[in-house]
Amino acid sequence: MSISKLSSVLATSYENFPKGRFITLVVLRTTHSETIFRTEGSGEPMCSEFVQAGLEGENQKTIIQRLVMTKRKQVAPERRYGREHLRAHELLYTNPKDGSLCSLNTNAPCEMCVDCFLYGFAAGGGGAQKSRIWTEDAFSILPASDVVGDRTINAIYETGTMRDEKGNASTALNTSEYIKPGVHFLDVVTLKDVTADELRYIIGNILFTSRYGAVSSRVGRMENEILGVFGSITELPSSLELVQATYDALGKPLEHPLNIKQLITASKQVIANWKNKRGVSVQLSEEELANLLTDVETNWSPDERDNFLKRLTQSYESFRQVAPEKNKGKGKSKGKNTPVEVEI
Amino acid sequence: MSTIPFQQAKLVELYCLEPVFFASRELSDTYYTEGVIGNYALTYALGRVNSPYRLQGQATGRPTYKEDLQPIAHDFYILPASPVGRVTFRFERFNALSDSYWYAMTNNRVATAREDLPLQRQGKKPSSFRPSNFPQTGRLRMIERRNKFQTLVFGNYQLPNYIRLGKFMSKVKLNVLNEFPVTLLPEGEYQSQHYLNAADLPQQIEALAFDLISIPPAPIIKNLRFRGAAWQVGEMIVPAGLHFCGRESSNE
Ligand SMILES: [Zn+2]
Repeated sequence: MSISKLSSVLATSYENFPKGRFITLVVLRTTHSETIFRTEGSGEPMCSEFVQAGLEGENQKTIIQRLVMTKRKQVAPERRYGREHLRAHELLYTNPKDGSLCSLNTNAPCEMCVDCFLYGFAAGGGGAQKSRIWTEDAFSILPASDVVGDRTINAIYETGTMRDEKGNASTALNTSEYIKPGVHFLDVVTLKDVTADELRYIIGNILFTSRYGAVSSRVGRMENEILGVFGSITELPSSLELVQATYDALGKPLEHPLNIKQLITASKQVIANWKNKRGVSVQLSEEELANLLTDVETNWSPDERDNFLKRLTQSYESFRQVAPEKNKGKGKSKGKNTPVEVEI
Repeated sequence: MSTIPFQQAKLVELYCLEPVFFASRELSDTYYTEGVIGNYALTYALGRVNSPYRLQGQATGRPTYKEDLQPIAHDFYILPASPVGRVTFRFERFNALSDSYWYAMTNNRVATAREDLPLQRQGKKPSSFRPSNFPQTGRLRMIERRNKFQTLVFGNYQLPNYIRLGKFMSKVKLNVLNEFPVTLLPEGEYQSQHYLNAADLPQQIEALAFDLISIPPAPIIKNLRFRGAAWQVGEMIVPAGLHFCGRESSNE
């Protein structure tokens, strides 16, 4: 189990105070169907931004418009993936205030489940947990103009075409943009002070989440692949810098769809340099990375999942006992005499 | 005048790799970030002081700046970061989303209990349809990506290349532009170009004129003209004796 290779940057148990242990995941996200990442509601253009094409030479001076997959658009579906399983294995807790089951963003976090401990929560006035998963806006490698398509909406017949059975053309009302299949986003995900099981949980959420963006039940298929795992005492370069350096390494001319093998080779070439950065202590080799992913898949497998999730849930037990301090006499005051561990 | 606690200071540039949001001001459903980065936030972001992951009870409502910052004040200080050039902002709408299959926007909140819907239609108010006591929808004014800020870091520390700032832990790149010795200038009348934290000003100086940016937790002062001793760092001048919570502690 190559997860032991990371032991110097893994926590042995959940701890409340940060300790300078960073694990960086380099993630390649590839659309497998039409996908929609909009800033606001429908009708808005795709999320995109003008940035430097690359970091060197001409690329540095060239400004291109890249698609952006915002940090919130990544983390929400990935959290939901994990929560679906917590729910299925009855590992979400009941919120003491109103008795409702833990739910996202509705002011009723249970403050006790794996998701609450790992991804954080803010309850109105009650308590808060900072997330230990730091995501970043991810950028497309190619310019938006190359990878965005236009689709006429409100006009497609059941046949999936613009003409009905009699061959009459539809009176198109509107067009809508979408991200083409086969578009690559490079991404850096930073984990802070996580345990081995927390790492397995997070990687599972990233690997097994397959739908992102608007109208997620019908479009937005996306495949995530982990290209690199680092351990360090500081943060590593940003998603944007990774995309820019990879763009430099790919050379020209570039057009959609990119050859994924070349892309992976170029990205791995870029991150290989990160190994020499100040503060980096571990980079998993290809083999160690493959072993880690097998380890994650084993723990998430139908046979192991229940064990795995329960073990992870169990790991927070000693930290749960101090939580219900404001329980209005609901009989759960077992932690009353325990000092609250957050006080300095 | 006393000796200078810091031998040297670093001029540091902060480059926003992501939009940065702090709730500096609130107007209706819009939350504004000011074009400045507070020095307390920077101190936490640099890892000079640790705050716990889990906040409970009182700790959530009451920040512990004084308790956190005063112990390190003898060998570390950082100025609020001031913008290089004009700050650009972007507006974003935020919606709290739910992980249930069904949800609806109600009184500024996301309702998720579908079984409450018939009740609500009869004019009753099930609890999931009542307004929430924390915002679930609104607009954010954020510091746009690619903005640059500058600050001075006093004390001899190796600084990380990247830090996280603001409510969304936005990634910010840190470049040390230059390093200077800190020299003491005698009592006199000086003008400081740097942004200063009003709570950190030494008691001894006399402020003659300044502009105020009102943000939590302490207002930021700019264009300060003052009488008193000063520290010179390269070409830059700041009041001598800047100190975390310096103004408060000398009142005690
Ligand atoms: Zn929970």
